[in-house]
Amino acid sequence: MVNFLKKLAGIDRRIIYLAVFLATAVPILTKAILKIEPLPEVRKAYEYIESLPEGSIVMVSIDYDAASMPELQPMLETFLHHSFRKNLKVIMLGHWALGLPLGQQALEEIAKKYNKKYGEDYVFLGYRPGVAAVIINLGKEFRNVFSGDYAYTPLDSLPLMRKVRNYKEIKLLYGLEAGAVGDSWIQYGYARYNLPIILGTTAVMTPDYYPYMQANQVISVIGGLRGAADYETLVGISGQASIGMLPQSVIHLVIIAFIIIGNVGFLVLRRAKK
Amino acid sequence: MTTIIWTWVAAFFTLAILSFLYKDNPLYKFAEHVYVGSSAAFTVLYVWVFDAYPKLVIGFKEKAGMQKYMLVIPLLLSLFIILRFIRPLSWLSRWSIAFTVGMAAGLGITGLTQGFLVPQVQASFLPLFVRGETVGQTVLLTMNNVIIVFGTIFTILYFYFSREHKGVLGVSSKVGVTILMLTFGASFGYTIMARISLLIGRIYFLLHNWLRLV
Amino acid sequence: MKKEVPLAITFISGLLLVLALFIPHKPFGNLEEIFNDWFIIVSGFTLLLGIDSLLGYNFHKIKRKDKDAPFALILILSFFITLAWGIIEILRTPEHNPFSPSSTFSLYFYNYIFIPLQSTMFAILSFFIASAAYRAFRAKEINSALLLVSAVLVMLGRVPLGQDAAPYVISVIFLIFAVYFYAESTGITETRTKLIYILVALIFVALIYPLGWVYFKKHIPEFADWLMNIPQMAGKRGIMIGIALGGIAMSIRIILGIERTYMK
Repeated sequence: MVNFLKKLAGIDRRIIYLAVFLATAVPILTKAILKIEPLPEVRKAYEYIESLPEGSIVMVSIDYDAASMPELQPMLETFLHHSFRKNLKVIMLGHWALGLPLGQQALEEIAKKYNKKYGEDYVFLGYRPGVAAVIINLGKEFRNVFSGDYAYTPLDSLPLMRKVRNYKEIKLLYGLEAGAVGDSWIQYGYARYNLPIILGTTAVMTPDYYPYMQANQVISVIGGLRGAADYETLVGISGQASIGMLPQSVIHLVIIAFIIIGNVGFLVLRRAKK
Repeated sequence: MTTIIWTWVAAFFTLAILSFLYKDNPLYKFAEHVYVGSSAAFTVLYVWVFDAYPKLVIGFKEKAGMQKYMLVIPLLLSLFIILRFIRPLSWLSRWSIAFTVGMAAGLGITGLTQGFLVPQVQASFLPLFVRGETVGQTVLLTMNNVIIVFGTIFTILYFYFSREHKGVLGVSSKVGVTILMLTFGASFGYTIMARISLLIGRIYFLLHNWLRLV
Repeated sequence: MKKEVPLAITFISGLLLVLALFIPHKPFGNLEEIFNDWFIIVSGFTLLLGIDSLLGYNFHKIKRKDKDAPFALILILSFFITLAWGIIEILRTPEHNPFSPSSTFSLYFYNYIFIPLQSTMFAILSFFIASAAYRAFRAKEINSALLLVSAVLVMLGRVPLGQDAAPYVISVIFLIFAVYFYAESTGITETRTKLIYILVALIFVALIYPLGWVYFKKHIPEFADWLMNIPQMAGKRGIMIGIALGGIAMSIRIILGIERTYMK
């Protein structure tokens, strides 16, 4: 018995890998969708977007790439559904060049579903290097950063952009953050120009944004796959984040079980040594 | 038909990377090298598409007068960076690096003070007694503010290494460690959550897009 | 010349931005905008740094007939194939942009090669982190126990099934602690210490029902909210203020030319 307990402290890593794989794959195969109660911060973000009057201009920043796609892509898609359903105008840009196509493909695809017209209802600007410098200069004049959109069409030939000179016309910045670009949006965009900000962040980054939330420097933060699933629930979509909630739950329990097993083995070993 | 073929390609690369879990093998190495090589090419492409072409080529075409002549400066600084690849002139690239480093430092100071330190310190000035509607609420709200105010201060003190952690500093840094442990634990929990979400995304691709089981 | 000019450039550009924050009017405000614009252009080119050495290193491997030479060749080939594909799409598409949704580069290369590579590369980290959690989260002393408990509570509080599982998880953890403390007490001869150990064991047993089956069964999501919003937030703020002070000090050193490592 004691020997068996001691062994619990040193389970082969491949057994853990297999358990992790099965705990992810099997729940996905069941196709079950769990009912969730949205977190307060996600509800706050949702309500802010709900409160925007029709025709308001919102801006989306693609600050992630395929590495965090499972978490942030559903947040982007839900936001686009939400915005187009409410007839908001969407301007998209990005600070992570590798992730830009993820943003643009979703934008085109969802805009099509709502019969939105490029140039009038939505615009894709693209990317410029230099994060903080880009954010500051956009606050002065969009044209000095982007003379044209992603296809080099001059901004003034796009009806939507004719109305936009700087952040005064932007009613919300929705930043999707896999790194520290969100800090720059807050430290330059909000601090200098009072740009209203909601961030969708990967779970790795989420804890870092709580101090900003408490200081009211951001309206709210939608964090991780759970946040994405909450947002999907509020908007009434059952997307990939909602599907992910069952495997996410199961695997958390599996990892917790391993932590407990490891500790039992550890404590027995330590006692035996004494 | 093309989609099916390409989905198989995607599945191949996904499985090739996953095969690393068993052990390092040629299939994984192949995928890894494709990834690194194509990422580098990606960078070259987007620097041209989103930077050099719109800012410099179109800039020179469309700007006039003084604004046009001033573009020569960033053009030169950009060219200097490329001169790094030519030994005798590589020292010129230091000028460009010096410019980007100076700018980053200047931007850093302004952003961190105006956008972080001042508002964060301000937000930490909280009343240490809050009256709620019930006694329970009063206790909870007061306790929360006390934790925020002293938790922040003690965490900072914990990282203060100029004096030995004895006496008052010793006690406060002990409380600081407790807060830090809760913080790191929560962060670690969130990190696990994030990594698992990525795996769910990939396995969903294999089961849904490739094998069509879901 | 080779040293003074870069130092002067750093000093002027850094100082200008700081001045412009306090005096946003002419000429500083305008100069700030111009400098930012130059930074946007130049910083893009800095992204190219390193590509030369990456290619050079791999060419060298091939020349030397290293055992990894075939892979070096694959890296170089994929670099040039990707580049060529992109350039063709720049010339071919009406948008002159290989990243636009209509280009085959974006449609095929990006969606079916690049996305799987990059996202799987990060997805395998989940296996390593699960294994690391199993190995690293050991309750060796009070602080590591706190770390463990905080992580477990957040993981339970942030997923839908966590609430249902919480009572069981808490019961198991507390039982383990109770058994551990009781087992420890058997080896102790001094009566007072022995009694304290037994008492601690009993407290753990007594807490199982009220904490696990009454409080956490209902309120674990709220508890995770509280943990994130109050103690976690305070700790994060403390750490981030420390980092910010360090960053500011470093920036001042760079602007004043005390810190010069970037010139090497």
